[in-house]
Amino acid sequence: MNDSTLPRTLLEEDSETLIADWLERLRARWHQQGAPGDDPVILSVHLNSLHAALCDALNEPRTTPFALDPESRLARELGELVHHQTRQGASAEEVTDLVSALKPLLMKRMEPMLHADPAAALPLWLWLDEVFERLLGFTFAAFIETRERIITQQSLSLLELSTPVLRLWHQVLLLPLVGVVDTARARHFTERLLESVARYEALVTIIDVTGVPVLDTSVARHLMKTIDAARLLGTRIVMTGISPEGAQTLTKLGISFSEVTARASLRAGIAEALSLIGRRIAPLEQARP
Amino acid sequence: MPGPSTTERLRVRDPNDIVTARRAARELCAQLGFGNADQTRLATAVSELTRNVIQYAGEGRCQIEDVSDAHSLGVRVTVEDQGPGIPDIERALRDGYSTSGGLGAGLPGTRRLVDHFEISSRPGLTQVIITLTRRR
Repeated sequence: MNDSTLPRTLLEEDSETLIADWLERLRARWHQQGAPGDDPVILSVHLNSLHAALCDALNEPRTTPFALDPESRLARELGELVHHQTRQGASAEEVTDLVSALKPLLMKRMEPMLHADPAAALPLWLWLDEVFERLLGFTFAAFIETRERIITQQSLSLLELSTPVLRLWHQVLLLPLVGVVDTARARHFTERLLESVARYEALVTIIDVTGVPVLDTSVARHLMKTIDAARLLGTRIVMTGISPEGAQTLTKLGISFSEVTARASLRAGIAEALSLIGRRIAPLEQARP
Repeated sequence: MPGPSTTERLRVRDPNDIVTARRAARELCAQLGFGNADQTRLATAVSELTRNVIQYAGEGRCQIEDVSDAHSLGVRVTVEDQGPGIPDIERALRDGYSTSGGLGAGLPGTRRLVDHFEISSRPGLTQVIITLTRRR
């Protein structure tokens, strides 16, 4: 057996059967895990190109330890497939199955060689084992990377989503705060609020904290700074949505928003804001004499 | 009856851990049957203490445990770090004192939020133990 080339019987011979078996094993495993089966046609296309890339890579002069060049076709094909599967919501187990489902098939194809000439086949066996370890490692790293990218995107879009400044009425703004108030988010919504106050010449701004899970000293400090800055632009602040427990906790902490008008509910806050600009919500009949 | 007493050990390394720790505290309180106000108090206290860890020591640990017995419900939280320590604990417990430009309400406020408050600090180990208890 030539040491530098891979026996054709391993990967290339009768490759249709190999890929079909691979696909079947993969789908059987996913089915067992209760994973929603991907479209077998698309998956088969992916596996075909992955197989071709694998043939290319393994026919290169063998290096020990096996190194997977991130620029190689194999790395790109595998990376893309993992990326695709992960985006579809595949778990780590399902993704690593992509590679690990192929390994036993190849090992089985090697069996006759091992029987015929163990001394020659064994190094190849060990090397293949190493190749698969490396591929599994790569798969897992690609999975993590994709997940991290998804998380970053989500937190960015959350930042965008959760801090809108709404125009409630002419010269009345509403800033509904939802979620964790940390330094980054505080800076973000303060900037947006100040911009809007200036643009709409807001006389009153309602800050609603119903959706803020914990009002501690750090959150209070961020809020106070926001309020101070907004005041400098000439808007009055009405704070709403502090729960009874939140109020109790804030007082225990020794924090007082003494300079801020507060209303328990957003409804009361809106009424207050409107009265500050000389308006009120009234039934139609009374409004038009 | 809840099963054997639960203990949760958490690492405090970045601001996300503050959220994790206070959620864990709130959940244990809720599980044991503390009211909403008590849940909020403990969650806020844990939030203050873990934020201090990140601000002054960089990282530390937070342990939340069920210390209920036949007569009372109880949750004990131990927050500790290996940071530089608090040079003057008495001043740090006074309202309005802060070395970092904060409100200076964190530690004294936390002490008022809980039923039992214990603090010890030297360079290399700062430990705060707080407990919330209610009669059954």
